[in-house]
Amino acid sequence: MRAAALIFRKDLLLLARAPALLLVLVVYPVLVALLIALALQGDERRPDVAVVNLDTSGRTVAVGERRLGVEDYLERLSEDVDVRRLDADAAAAALDQGRVSAVLTIPEGFIADLQSGVRRPALMVAASRRSPIEADAIVRRLEAAVYRLNQSLATGYVNQVLRLVDFVVDGGRIGIFGRTGDALGLRRSRVLVTDLQKRLRAAGDLRSAAELGPLVNFIEETRRNLDLAKPAANAIRAPIALEVTEGAPGREPLSAFGFAGALLVSLGLAGVLLAAAAMSAEREDHALARLARGLISSWALVAEKMAFTAVACLVVGLALLGGVAVATDLAVGRWGLWLATLLLAGLAFGAFGVLAGALARETRSALLIALMLALPLLAIGLLPDSGAASAISQIVPFGPAFDAFQTLLVEPTIDAGDISVTLGHLALLAVVFGAAAALAVSRKARA
Amino acid sequence: MAAMSPAADPVLVARALRRAFRGVRALDGVDVDLAAGEAVALLGPNGAGKTTLLTILAGVARRDEGSLEWAAGAAPRVGWVPQRPALYPRLSARENLRLFAALERAGDPDALAEELLGRADLTEFADRTAANLSTGTLQRLNLAIALAGRPSVLLLDEPTATLSPDQRLRLWKWLDELRDAGMALMFSTQSVDEAMRRGDRLVVLAAGRVLFTGTSQEMVAAHGVGGGGDAEAAELAFMRLVTGLPGTDGAG
Repeated sequence: MRAAALIFRKDLLLLARAPALLLVLVVYPVLVALLIALALQGDERRPDVAVVNLDTSGRTVAVGERRLGVEDYLERLSEDVDVRRLDADAAAAALDQGRVSAVLTIPEGFIADLQSGVRRPALMVAASRRSPIEADAIVRRLEAAVYRLNQSLATGYVNQVLRLVDFVVDGGRIGIFGRTGDALGLRRSRVLVTDLQKRLRAAGDLRSAAELGPLVNFIEETRRNLDLAKPAANAIRAPIALEVTEGAPGREPLSAFGFAGALLVSLGLAGVLLAAAAMSAEREDHALARLARGLISSWALVAEKMAFTAVACLVVGLALLGGVAVATDLAVGRWGLWLATLLLAGLAFGAFGVLAGALARETRSALLIALMLALPLLAIGLLPDSGAASAISQIVPFGPAFDAFQTLLVEPTIDAGDISVTLGHLALLAVVFGAAAALAVSRKARA
Repeated sequence: MAAMSPAADPVLVARALRRAFRGVRALDGVDVDLAAGEAVALLGPNGAGKTTLLTILAGVARRDEGSLEWAAGAAPRVGWVPQRPALYPRLSARENLRLFAALERAGDPDALAEELLGRADLTEFADRTAANLSTGTLQRLNLAIALAGRPSVLLLDEPTATLSPDQRLRLWKWLDELRDAGMALMFSTQSVDEAMRRGDRLVVLAAGRVLFTGTSQEMVAAHGVGGGGDAEAAELAFMRLVTGLPGTDGAG
């Protein structure tokens, strides 16, 4: 313990004496964090969708006062995806070659079916089988596009129905569903019937006047019911409304996912490289052979390098979090959990880096090995849950570290059990990689 | 065959040491002894196994076979001076000494560091980083660090290989003082002259085997051509020994 503390102090002193390294250690993670955050919060790439239009009739369907055709639908679709117009064979080939994510086929007679109101027209989608995740996302986008078109059509139809209701109630001249006419309307009908009643009563024909009573009641009842039809039709058109209000003007907040990713890449790289460099420097300076002669055990030496990395990760991580808390609208908080998470992640990154550092004779080689190991594993750690990649990311420190970062940044409430499991996972990986590193150091020191 | 002249009062007895690296035998049944206050020179060409033997004795490398016994059954404090200085180049001479003195659990690491700086004539370079010291000064710091554990045995791997003649003299003056104070020294060298001058006994190694153990006079007598104890005769005897030419004994 005392020997480890002495080496720890030496490492801090050497770090402080290397201003370039110190600068890189602080500036590099910040730059990486900014780049990753910008990359992850930017617009997602729009998928390419091949459209095969078999409805070449050029027909349009009247929706309210507008007429909609296939081109209008495709224009709306292009708001969500990049439309590539192809014939059926070219579209199938493009899907097979992975050049488009899906093929959307507009069948022959699509608009005619829509116009008829008898047959329900259907669009056909064939999504790529290569990536189930992307295929699922594409289908959801197309579903959303069809939903919006349906909603637009429903709005047009409902408006027409409401105008028809007004026509029935108020009468007048109107053109609807392709027909025009002049109607009396319930309101004027009631006036005419009640006027007739009055005149019959005045003429002494009370019996006839009374016989008109049910007709007046029917007209009145119908008018009232049709008045109720308006809010009901509006409710059918949009049962649930989504009201979007703009946030307070100010800085653009970083997405929590983007920041979690940035934190993982910056701390992961900085931690692994620092630990690898610190360990391999002991070998390159030939000090390891002297230390291994009973001055410090390989276990204590590895633990010291892990602790050194953990402290560096803690300082850099807290600085990044503090910067984000001050400069953006992203809620950080949960500082106690952050402290534990950054320390455990730093220990695990340190163990991984020390193992890489122990494998190389020189610092430059160690850094190269560490970089070559860390980069792909970091990328896998950032991927969403998906089979083998997810499994690999969970047996190295990057997966659980990313889970912990996301949980602390995103989850509205923290489940004590879940976060304990994630932190325990990190601690376990720190122990496993630390043990492997200690064995490697022991072998290299006493070759 | 090798003439064995065991040390009178050995602090170290190594027998049948063997070590191979990927099938290549670096040491093949080596026997060596070392007594208190004695200086033993390990003499041999490149690849003879000198460094391997010293690193095994120093506890830096492991042995495949053989026994290693220390006086009174307990390992004495062994100081290790590798050929390439084992220290931190970006720490100053003083900081290196303080660190290793503390790691060696010295009662007062600061005082010991100052004492060693003085004994190694490093006081004027005390605050200079090791990376900025000359080769000779760096080797003195390397030796001073080895002394931070207050050893009774000092193992040195070609300590003067990279030094100029004046630096060599300066270093040997200090090593002679240590030996006179009772410290046992074992050093490797490729210089027959240095081995003759500084070693009480010579251990000649070649291809991982001990070819001769004894004084330089004994080596000349056994393997020289014409006797005598001068450097030239010893050089010739050494050459005949390592090239396998028959000497006085062999010529019979």
